[in-house]
Amino acid sequence: MLLETRDLGKSYGTVRALIGVSVSILAGEVHALIGENGAGKSTFINLLAGVVHPSSGSISIGGEVLEPGSVRASEAAGIAVIHQESTAFQHLDALDNLFVGREPRRWGCVLDRPRMRAEGRRLLAGLGETLQEGRPLAELSVAQRQMVAIARALSVRCRLLVLDEPTASLSARECGALFAAIRRLTAAGVAVLYVSHRLEEILALADRVTVLRDGSHVETRAAAGLSKDDLIRSMVGREVQEHGHGAPSAPGAVRLAVRSLSRSPCFHEISFELRAGEIIGLAGLVGAGRSEVAAAVFGADRPDAGSVLVDGRALPPGDVRAAIAAGVALVPEDRQHLGLVLPMTVGENLVLAVLASLARGGVRRMSAEAAVAAEQMKAMAIKADSPAVPVRTLSGGNQQKVAIGKWLAAHPRVLILDEPTRGIDVGARAEIYRLIRSLAAGGLATLVISSDLQEVLGLSHRILVMREGRISGELSRQDATQERILALAMPQEAAVAGVSP
Amino acid sequence: MKLGAYRYWHETVLAALIAALMIGAAVVDPRFVSWKTQIALSSHVWELALLAVPMTAIIITAGIDLSVGSAMALSAVVLGLAYQAGANAWLAAACGIVAGALCGTFNGLAVAWLRVHPLIVTLATLAAFRGVAEGISLGRPISGFPASFTVLGLGTIAGVPIAGVIVALIATAAGLALARTPSGLSLYAIGHNPAASRFSGLPVARLTVALYALSGTCAGLAAAIYVARRNTAKADLGTGLELDVITAVVLGGTSIFGGSGRIIGTVLGVLAIHETREFVGWHWEHEELNAIVVGVLLIAAVLLNRLFTRPTR
Repeated sequence: MLLETRDLGKSYGTVRALIGVSVSILAGEVHALIGENGAGKSTFINLLAGVVHPSSGSISIGGEVLEPGSVRASEAAGIAVIHQESTAFQHLDALDNLFVGREPRRWGCVLDRPRMRAEGRRLLAGLGETLQEGRPLAELSVAQRQMVAIARALSVRCRLLVLDEPTASLSARECGALFAAIRRLTAAGVAVLYVSHRLEEILALADRVTVLRDGSHVETRAAAGLSKDDLIRSMVGREVQEHGHGAPSAPGAVRLAVRSLSRSPCFHEISFELRAGEIIGLAGLVGAGRSEVAAAVFGADRPDAGSVLVDGRALPPGDVRAAIAAGVALVPEDRQHLGLVLPMTVGENLVLAVLASLARGGVRRMSAEAAVAAEQMKAMAIKADSPAVPVRTLSGGNQQKVAIGKWLAAHPRVLILDEPTRGIDVGARAEIYRLIRSLAAGGLATLVISSDLQEVLGLSHRILVMREGRISGELSRQDATQERILALAMPQEAAVAGVSP
Repeated sequence: MKLGAYRYWHETVLAALIAALMIGAAVVDPRFVSWKTQIALSSHVWELALLAVPMTAIIITAGIDLSVGSAMALSAVVLGLAYQAGANAWLAAACGIVAGALCGTFNGLAVAWLRVHPLIVTLATLAAFRGVAEGISLGRPISGFPASFTVLGLGTIAGVPIAGVIVALIATAAGLALARTPSGLSLYAIGHNPAASRFSGLPVARLTVALYALSGTCAGLAAAIYVARRNTAKADLGTGLELDVITAVVLGGTSIFGGSGRIIGTVLGVLAIHETREFVGWHWEHEELNAIVVGVLLIAAVLLNRLFTRPTR
């Protein structure tokens, strides 16, 4: 046994984030940690990393009790945490990032570049990566940055690697590379604590699974023989029907018409129509141009050519306010930077898109704003102490509900959701699916962009697939399968040859 | 209720500092705190206060306007030249204010449409406006304004300076606008996150232009008050004033990174700087001490504030 927590608990005031968790992690295993947002996963990781001090219990690694609440002690004991958003130096290249703070030196002062290079190459080769020297980290892909972060962790003696949502923004191929790297590590005896909402990945990758719910340890089981439903049941404590197929309502009039929309080099000749009450799923690989199409429809980007019509009337290109006035709403993929103003309160965020229309004579009506905020908090089941808390303090799922609720307050006619459930737990996900369906049933025209094929299949009445900036096909709900979507989404082999990095 | 829930710590600390200063001043020299002395000394503060109001709003959006002192000088020179050319003094003042508004609009357009950082834009116009003022006035002072105009800088209503009444009205209006209008809340949102503000349909560009235009307009008004008080318009007036203005705003608790700040804090910041400076000048009669004292005050206020509002997360 490599690491053991005994009765580990953490309270913040009266809130018990983690309650008496006793878990053991074995050397060389992939140990998955799952639970809904707010179940205590982050707290557990932070305790292992020494970022927070436990309220009760202890952690021991290799038989020795770890000094509580000390980042330095955790690092020295060989615990490395790779977070969703890496805290690397974006302006430095991969090599500098690998060694910053503990660079090998010559004569005590001069950088030993050749040694750094050799060492860096060896570390990355161990993960099946090649060293990209001379390019700032910001120019590398998310996957490559992640590999650099993992390699950095390995360069200091690492016994337990904690990966927090590592695949949240990776493409299918990049995920494959990551899993291969993880398998190499475990073969070398490193334990991996793998935190993810993607249950398929966990079933494919993990040796054992620990489930947390409301801060408590529900169970730890061998992953073999478990099904996705087993995991969901265990996380939620009840049955969740994740992909119910509501009958497609009879589609109404054309709400949104996109005609030959192009914006070089992101997308070309995009045309489709979206009807009232219809949900179109826009599938494709990361980088296929889906989000860029959404941004152009919403007026955030100006297209080179083509037009966008809402209820038959053309929108002026590149004008967000005109698009909103016509009834278009976009819940962007990057909710932290584009969807929400994180330091502002839940209430303020919920009324941000309707500020002017709630005011009378140029003066804000606080009571009207409070009513709208309360209505959306209730409708979206947003869990927050009050509308006066900053959105930043909410969990990812609740933040997303605020990002959606803010637009529902504006009563849109066309709703575009870009990766609406990314990084969100199953419970909140099911709520969001239910909401999207009921909004469509109420006549809202909805476009859902998603990399999660099951999500696309479960929600959409029709599915459009994009590949390299073009619509490569359309599938009806009856005809659509994961395989067919993937076949349309994957780049043609001929086009790929010689382009891959 | 936790201490952290009280939102006015900064203002409270600043008010306590000012109170301590006034009590200390009263002990050392009771004449300083008399109403008569205070009214007499107050004539030095109105331009600073007037410029600090729009500067607060600009810094809330994470912007900055370094050109206010120069815009004020240009407005004053336009006022003077218009008067010299035969215009009525009040009409000339209106010309000056329009000139200030145009200066501000230029800044705003460059920031909003050309997407140049406001620090760069206004650093450039800081030099440019002053240069234009020097050029069109040929460096000569213009004076000889009628008493009917100088009343704007020297007159009182019921014992209160007219300039003070104007500043109070503008500050109150701005405070209400920030707290109670959609545009006010939008400025905070822009300061925190301009991209999300744009994605929420807020008129980011329009508000930015309006804000800098307003700053220029206030500079024009400050120029009129200054000229009326000194009875002279010269191209070198208001030199370095922008730094005093920014100091007052930051001292008042507005975050230089944008997203937070209030007019009431700025008013207290202006008051703290003004009283400290006047007392030092009054008591020791050493002008050069001013800068040191203001610097110490700024650091003290920031440290005290941090002591009281240490984040609990």
